[in-house]
Amino acid sequence: MFGYVTAYEPELKVKEFQKYKAYYCGLCQSLKNRYGALGQLTLTYDMTFAIILLTSLYESETKMSAHRCKVHPLKKQAMLQNEITEYAADMNLILAYYHMKDDWQDEKSVSGFAGTCALRRRVKKAIFKYPHQSRVIQRELKNLARYEKENAMELDAPAGCFGRLMGELFLYRKDQWEMTLRRLGFFLGKFIYIMDAYEDLEKDIKSGSYNPLRELSKEEDYEERCREMLCMMMGECTAEFEKLPCILDVDILRNILYDGVWKRFNKLQDKKREEQKV
Amino acid sequence: MTKNPYDVLGVSPSASDDEIKRAYRDLTRKYHPDANVNNPLADLAEEKFKEVQEAYDTIMKEREHGGYGSSSGYGNSSGYGYGYGYGGGYQQSSSSGGSQDVEMQAAYNFISNRRFQDALNVLNRMPNRTAQWYYLSAVANANLGNNIVARDHAGQAVNMEPRNPQYQQLLNQLSWNTQRYQNNPYGSGYGYGNGGNNTCGTGNMCCDLWILDSLCECMGGDLCSCM
Repeated sequence: MFGYVTAYEPELKVKEFQKYKAYYCGLCQSLKNRYGALGQLTLTYDMTFAIILLTSLYESETKMSAHRCKVHPLKKQAMLQNEITEYAADMNLILAYYHMKDDWQDEKSVSGFAGTCALRRRVKKAIFKYPHQSRVIQRELKNLARYEKENAMELDAPAGCFGRLMGELFLYRKDQWEMTLRRLGFFLGKFIYIMDAYEDLEKDIKSGSYNPLRELSKEEDYEERCREMLCMMMGECTAEFEKLPCILDVDILRNILYDGVWKRFNKLQDKKREEQKV
Repeated sequence: MTKNPYDVLGVSPSASDDEIKRAYRDLTRKYHPDANVNNPLADLAEEKFKEVQEAYDTIMKEREHGGYGSSSGYGNSSGYGYGYGYGGGYQQSSSSGGSQDVEMQAAYNFISNRRFQDALNVLNRMPNRTAQWYYLSAVANANLGNNIVARDHAGQAVNMEPRNPQYQQLLNQLSWNTQRYQNNPYGSGYGYGNGGNNTCGTGNMCCDLWILDSLCECMGGDLCSCM
């Protein structure tokens, strides 16, 4: 995934930021324990958000520990882990697995091949454990690939594939929050998809790759349109979020949803403004 | 008789969302079946547990869109019920006649039966795109989660027939969450953070609410009954 769903540090209290980091390190550690160094490579902020959200919703018992790791060899890192961290690690790997498998089939890329072989056995177990999520991930990635091949310029369709995929990831349990979580994930997924297309536009045009914003980018009000669409997605996403009885870490969650998700967009906008000046 | 949901949670109707969430948490913890295994009154606790859950759902639904006309959570079996309501039946327009009317009627029927993809299929076959066509397309798309196209088409319908209250209402409904997000009390950095070029809304939640309410009222609806 892409790392757009992240915290906005300047607005977080020190204590909250440390907790946020501890969740992140906890996921990293779980990935390592379950899937080794290759698994660790799939670590993202997006999934960290999912962990904090589901932990807040289900108030799962969380274990605090300290570990040393390669990235931070000098100081032991605080880590928060619980049942949801394990779940998120599995989801991350299932996602990476199907993604790499596609890569290999399409481009015969070496990375795809290595990833598939090394991870296959361990991931198969996870796929077996979560058949629902696995099926939807596989189905929606396939649909997405189809839209890319068709060169679809209608944003809702491809973004919706990624949205449905994300919506499924949030269904840790099937309970009364299913509908709300599904929609929350759906619109967050659409946001991520559009954000990704927005960031990659220039690169994609240069390389001749598919980008759903290519046509729209020729319009004069392109920037404003993108901002509007992204705002719409977060509007719907947060409307669902506010229906959930989340108390624990709600300040971190709101920091991410109302501020953090705009970090990259604002940075790209600043860069564009700089370039215009020069 | 159904109890007032606020009484069930023991909060005042003017309580903030977060206060309601906290009350819900406290009560569900107290009445949770796991916490009452050895309690002789376990049945009673479970009943109370359900009651609290229902009360919470009712309040959240009521407060959605600021208590505004839409109802969500139709419990669509496919799980993608985005729950955008649409008002009214189909008025036959005598002038055009022919297959256009038949197809429009079919699209209406599909939408009434919540078969939104079928409605879109019919609509996409129609060559003549009237304001009504854009309105129906917006409703069907919104319910399928295609919120970008939905808002564009709702806007198109309003542009073509600015005085139609139904079209205006749908557009307001589809814009509501975006507006709420832009005026949220939590964050500052969302898209408009550093430019200050906020194009819609006055930047003041109350003021926007009042304008929206007036808009609705002059169309015959009401957003905030207290204003």
